[in-house]
Amino acid sequence: MRVLVADDSVLFREGLVRLLGEGGHEVVAQLGDADALLDGVEELRPDLAVIDVRMPPTMTDDGARAAGRLRERHPHLPMMLLSQHVETRHSVALVAGGGFGYLLKDRVLRVDDFLEAVRRVGAGGSALDPDVVGALLARPALSVLTGRENEVLALVAEGHSNASVAGRLHLAERTVESHMRSIFGKLGIADTGEHHRRVLAVLAFLGNRRVT
Amino acid sequence: MRAPVGRGTISAMVARRPVRMAPVAAFVAGAAGQLAYSFAGPGDPIALTAVVLGVLAVPVVLGALLGARTPHNPVGPALSWVGAAPAVVFAVENWGARPGSGPLGVVAPGVWVWNLAGFVALCLVFPDGLLPGARWRRAAWLTGAAGVVVNAAGAVAVDTAPAPVLAGAAALAFGTCLAALGTAVAALVRRYRRGGEVTRQQLRWLVLGAGTVPVLLAAGWVAQSFGASPAVAYTGFLLAMLLAVPAAVIVAVLWYDLFDVDRLLGESLSWLATTVLSAAVFAGVVAVGGALGADSRLGVTGAAFVTALALQPLHRRLSELVGRLVDRDRYVRLARLRAFVRAVRDGEAAPERTETVLRTVLDDPGLRLLLRAPGADHVERSGRPPEHTIPLRSGDADVGVLALGTVSARRLRRAREAAVEARLPIEVARLQLQLRDALREVSASRLRLLEATAAERRKLERDLHDGAQQRIVAVGMRLRSLQRTVAPAASRELDVAVESLEATIAELRRLAQGIRPSLLDDGLPVALRALVADSPIPVELAVADVPASDAVATSVYYLVAEAFANALKHAGAGRVRIAVSGDPDRLRVEVADDGVGGATADLPSVRDRIAAVGGTLEVHSPPGDGTTVIVEIARARTGR
Repeated sequence: MRVLVADDSVLFREGLVRLLGEGGHEVVAQLGDADALLDGVEELRPDLAVIDVRMPPTMTDDGARAAGRLRERHPHLPMMLLSQHVETRHSVALVAGGGFGYLLKDRVLRVDDFLEAVRRVGAGGSALDPDVVGALLARPALSVLTGRENEVLALVAEGHSNASVAGRLHLAERTVESHMRSIFGKLGIADTGEHHRRVLAVLAFLGNRRVT
Repeated sequence: MRAPVGRGTISAMVARRPVRMAPVAAFVAGAAGQLAYSFAGPGDPIALTAVVLGVLAVPVVLGALLGARTPHNPVGPALSWVGAAPAVVFAVENWGARPGSGPLGVVAPGVWVWNLAGFVALCLVFPDGLLPGARWRRAAWLTGAAGVVVNAAGAVAVDTAPAPVLAGAAALAFGTCLAALGTAVAALVRRYRRGGEVTRQQLRWLVLGAGTVPVLLAAGWVAQSFGASPAVAYTGFLLAMLLAVPAAVIVAVLWYDLFDVDRLLGESLSWLATTVLSAAVFAGVVAVGGALGADSRLGVTGAAFVTALALQPLHRRLSELVGRLVDRDRYVRLARLRAFVRAVRDGEAAPERTETVLRTVLDDPGLRLLLRAPGADHVERSGRPPEHTIPLRSGDADVGVLALGTVSARRLRRAREAAVEARLPIEVARLQLQLRDALREVSASRLRLLEATAAERRKLERDLHDGAQQRIVAVGMRLRSLQRTVAPAASRELDVAVESLEATIAELRRLAQGIRPSLLDDGLPVALRALVADSPIPVELAVADVPASDAVATSVYYLVAEAFANALKHAGAGRVRIAVSGDPDRLRVEVADDGVGGATADLPSVRDRIAAVGGTLEVHSPPGDGTTVIVEIARARTGR
């Protein structure tokens, strides 16, 4: 994949570039601020943009806001947001279109998991950090979902397939499928294609949690 | 080189001059006519003419001075005409009385009416020009026309005319004359009724002076009908019109309210009464002494002694009595003020109401009680000129000023009196102001400290994330790169090393979270949801996204964290309910559990924090019935 990396920390950026290179990806540009990121995407049309949330000029959430604008201009550009700590403000809106990942920066140290997440996002899937999902899916006492269904949905929100969820929870894949059906039913999501439904389930759940 | 003089300036200057100078010129012409007549022989002796002219000169000069002082006010010229018109009239009468005097002889019989011209004009324009509106402009022209009509009637009603013509002319003359005088009176009355207090006081002086004029004129007519010579009969009228009226006008316009008639009257009356009563006491004692057969010298001495004893209290009582009768306003005013002061002393009235009470009592809605702000080295007069203010002092300290909305000598005296009377509530109000200011400053500085701490924590948190944490990740990545090139045994070692780095990063993240919960950036709902995410017991979370300042949100977060931790640790609660609700003006937080209750913990660590953002904290914890912590914060958006 042709990857564009936007991060103002040179040390981290170089490590990331080397890591992506070793993973077989071509880094087409290394940029240090949000404006350069917007221009770089227009110019180079990469297959994936890896974006630091906190970047110049304001050093708050410029990266995340730039990602939002990129999503408007290029709905199909896969993006992987990286952050030093959990922020949830922008993820809910961005996760909707697919091709979106949000990881804490130290996840890159689990190189294989990270490269897998990069691949998944590049292919139009999603990858959400367990901590981010945890922050979004705080355990609601009056939830319509059972504890097991919550666990399943949390893993789905991270971007895992049914098989992967089954492996992690030591369940049969059919059991996971039945949990998913139950979740779709409880959340009132119509049958409109498997991938779309999964994203909608995650969104409905995240959106629901945001309000209560 | 001479500076060119602007044509416009000159014409503007001369444009107003003729109006002011016309009566002076008329007076000079009239005086010259009279003196010439006296020199020619037939008239009064030259000395009498000079005296008359001297008297007439008084209003002319006063009017000219007034005109110079207030050039836009027609009262000056009108006053001048009071003297100038008779000067001209007398000259015309003198010369017109001579046989064969031509046009003057025709005008002379009725010319007397112009004696009143200045007086009528004065009534129409006093104290600040003609009344507004076309009606009053027409009325002014009509009074002028009335003069012409009366004068013409006089010219017709010569001795040789037939009786009906004489009677008709007389009726016409008196009717028109009455109409003109009525108009003048109507103007005065209208002004008095519509005018403010100052206008009324000014008019009062004019009425005082002018009221004598018609009375004395009538007296003159009566005296003349009893055969007195005109010179004697009209002397009083002329003196009143020429001296009393100008004096009243000058006093009213320039120094109205200076002599404060009420008080002069009141004091004179009370001394008069005291004197009379003392004399009566004296006489009574002497009489009683005489009746008892005492030595007359002893009687007189005793009487003097008794009178001296009685004098002081007698005068005080009489002053009060006379004051109640003559200056009832003042009596009522002081009584109301004293009642208010008593109420303040008894804690029944708030000293902050002093300004309102003074406004009502002094009947001055524009009055302001300006207290010196604590720490200020002078009193802020809010733009009032010093002559409108009364300084208030307590010992050597400037307490403030009483600024009046309407000013006159009488109002200043009354306000001074009131300020002395209301000393206590004024002083209390000032002290309260000081106290309130000090408290405000304390809570502001507490909030500033909290905000400074919050900013400091945020910076620390960022430094941790963007500095140390980032570097450790970078090192880890290098190790991972290195890992690809080393032997499997070394690779396992590196795995352990990187895992240790990951643990360090997690530790740093927890540390940063403790310094400042970064999820607060995403809003209170997100942060609180994350806070209870790992709860072992069910948590009912109802957090509205109420706009709140960083300081307020942080304080609420720590409050909920503390209350939640207590519910878990001490209360043995089975479930917890956390609710945040409200609007930008008022934020309400409630953390309730179903635990054992009886909590003694007062949450001291968060109580100060909540107080610093202007909030209140309540803990209800009846034994066996759970614990509820309620916090309310006003103006949560700004935190001030």
